[in-house]
Amino acid sequence: MEIRDVTFSYSDKVKRLHHVEAEIKEGQITTIIGPNGSGKSTLLSVLTNNNQPQEGQVILDGKAINQYKPKELAKRLGVVHQQNTAPSDMTVERLVHYGRLPYQNPFSPKNDKDEAMVKWALKSTGLYEKRNETIDTLSGGQQQRVWIAMALAQDTPYLFLDEPTSNLDIYYQYEILELVKRLCNEHGLTIVMVLHDINQAIQYSHQLIAMKRGHIIAKGNPKEIVTNQLMKEVYGINIMVKNDENVGLYILPLGI
Amino acid sequence: MYKKMISFIAVITLLIGATIYSMITGSIEVTAGELIAGLFGGMNENVEIIKDLRLPRIIISLFAGAALAVSGVLLQAVLRNPLAEPGIIGVSSGAGFVSIIMITFFPALYFYTPLFSFIGGMIAFLLVYMFSWKSGLNPLRMILIGVAVNALFTGLSEFLSSQNASSMMSGVSVTSSTLTMTTWSDVEIIALYGSIGLIIAFLVYAWCNHLGLKDKTLKNLGFNVNRARFIISVIAVLLASTATAIAGMFAFIGLLIPHIGRTLVGNDHKLLIPFSALAGALLIVVADTLGRTIADPIEIPASIIMAIIGGPFLIFMLRKSDRIYGN
Repeated sequence: MEIRDVTFSYSDKVKRLHHVEAEIKEGQITTIIGPNGSGKSTLLSVLTNNNQPQEGQVILDGKAINQYKPKELAKRLGVVHQQNTAPSDMTVERLVHYGRLPYQNPFSPKNDKDEAMVKWALKSTGLYEKRNETIDTLSGGQQQRVWIAMALAQDTPYLFLDEPTSNLDIYYQYEILELVKRLCNEHGLTIVMVLHDINQAIQYSHQLIAMKRGHIIAKGNPKEIVTNQLMKEVYGINIMVKNDENVGLYILPLGI
Repeated sequence: MYKKMISFIAVITLLIGATIYSMITGSIEVTAGELIAGLFGGMNENVEIIKDLRLPRIIISLFAGAALAVSGVLLQAVLRNPLAEPGIIGVSSGAGFVSIIMITFFPALYFYTPLFSFIGGMIAFLLVYMFSWKSGLNPLRMILIGVAVNALFTGLSEFLSSQNASSMMSGVSVTSSTLTMTTWSDVEIIALYGSIGLIIAFLVYAWCNHLGLKDKTLKNLGFNVNRARFIISVIAVLLASTATAIAGMFAFIGLLIPHIGRTLVGNDHKLLIPFSALAGALLIVVADTLGRTIADPIEIPASIIMAIIGGPFLIFMLRKSDRIYGN
């Protein structure tokens, strides 16, 4: 997937993305980082065609994403938004079945492939035993996994996650991140996500995109781009970059 | 599952019971046996009178109740708001206003009244939708705009009927139900438009379910949210307008019945729509029968009974509204 010279603003005058250029590498995890208001989620919304850029294009498999029919695009891109709602008495399994919507039409009822994908999505997210429970009985981490399962049932090569770990306890944060890693390694999904925690981003990503005020400041492998200077520029903090032989690269914030 | 089945059996039983009771009770009374014999044999004079005068209003009550309750369910799905209701947001008064214009100025087009009142209902609905949609619908904002739209159309209707006070149409009421004066030709109209609306409403139950998710989620699933929302709104307004044009104004039924439905059969529209249709029919038949009998020989319009039950219920709903949808 290629992002070509994308400029975007909501109806107000302020430009949220300025001539953004990047490439999303297939089969890898790309994480967008940056402070609040830097345009991380906006970029994600443009990549998933939830917002259309005023200038530039997002190219997927040789075709601009706004040229796809909605259902065709939904067979290629799965998205997990930050905030989701569903009727509280909906069961896990029924909600995950929504992922099959792009494959269904009024004249073709659910088929074996749908059932198989839903089952796979439930098992991959560890929700199979909970499939008949209603979502209001689940914890925050479990609910987040239900939405990921729904996107997995969509059977798409690309998966986008907008701050999948926000508002979760640290255990569940890592549970989600491990799931994301597994989906990439074992199932070859291309994953693009937005994260707040820089160390989590470094630990779990093949590629980082660091943003500030609608510009991409740096992009590339964490080992190559994470420096004291970059963090100062993006977040305005002083950090120390450490490279531990056991845990790999990590940063330690020192102060302002 | 068990609870849902019991709920359906209960509402169907009560509906049949209430309908029969309604037929045999009133200023002319017969026994259930005489009624059945009369309906199929046709020699009983009292049953003939019931057939001519009482049966039409009962059938109309059934259809109006079903249509208004289902209209409420659909509007709640479209607006994602458990307080949406054709009476509260002004759809009924918009429809009522146009139907009064039709009856006053074009009585020859009576059979098409529901279609014209549909236009009135749609205008009211679009006004509320446009003014209360601000990146999602705020429930209280919607109610307030609805109150304003409702007041506007009720005012216009009252203006029109006071202008015509001396004419023969002065009996047309603006704010209450008009079941008393109904005939078999009204039955034909409401049965036609009502059945069409109810059947289509049931056919789009899956769309109503989809709308329980957020717009952007649905969009990413390749679902055309705006088309679904538009079609469901049109059906909802058609149902409410038909009921209003023939049976008059009933407030709160589209609020009360779906709420009870959600507690008994859940949020799945596959069950909620048919259940609401049955329960709505039951409620209006009961309200109309009560209105005819409790203060006999004076008739209390069914809409007044509905308002007395529904007003307090709206307050109750407002208090707990944020807990109904979502998680």
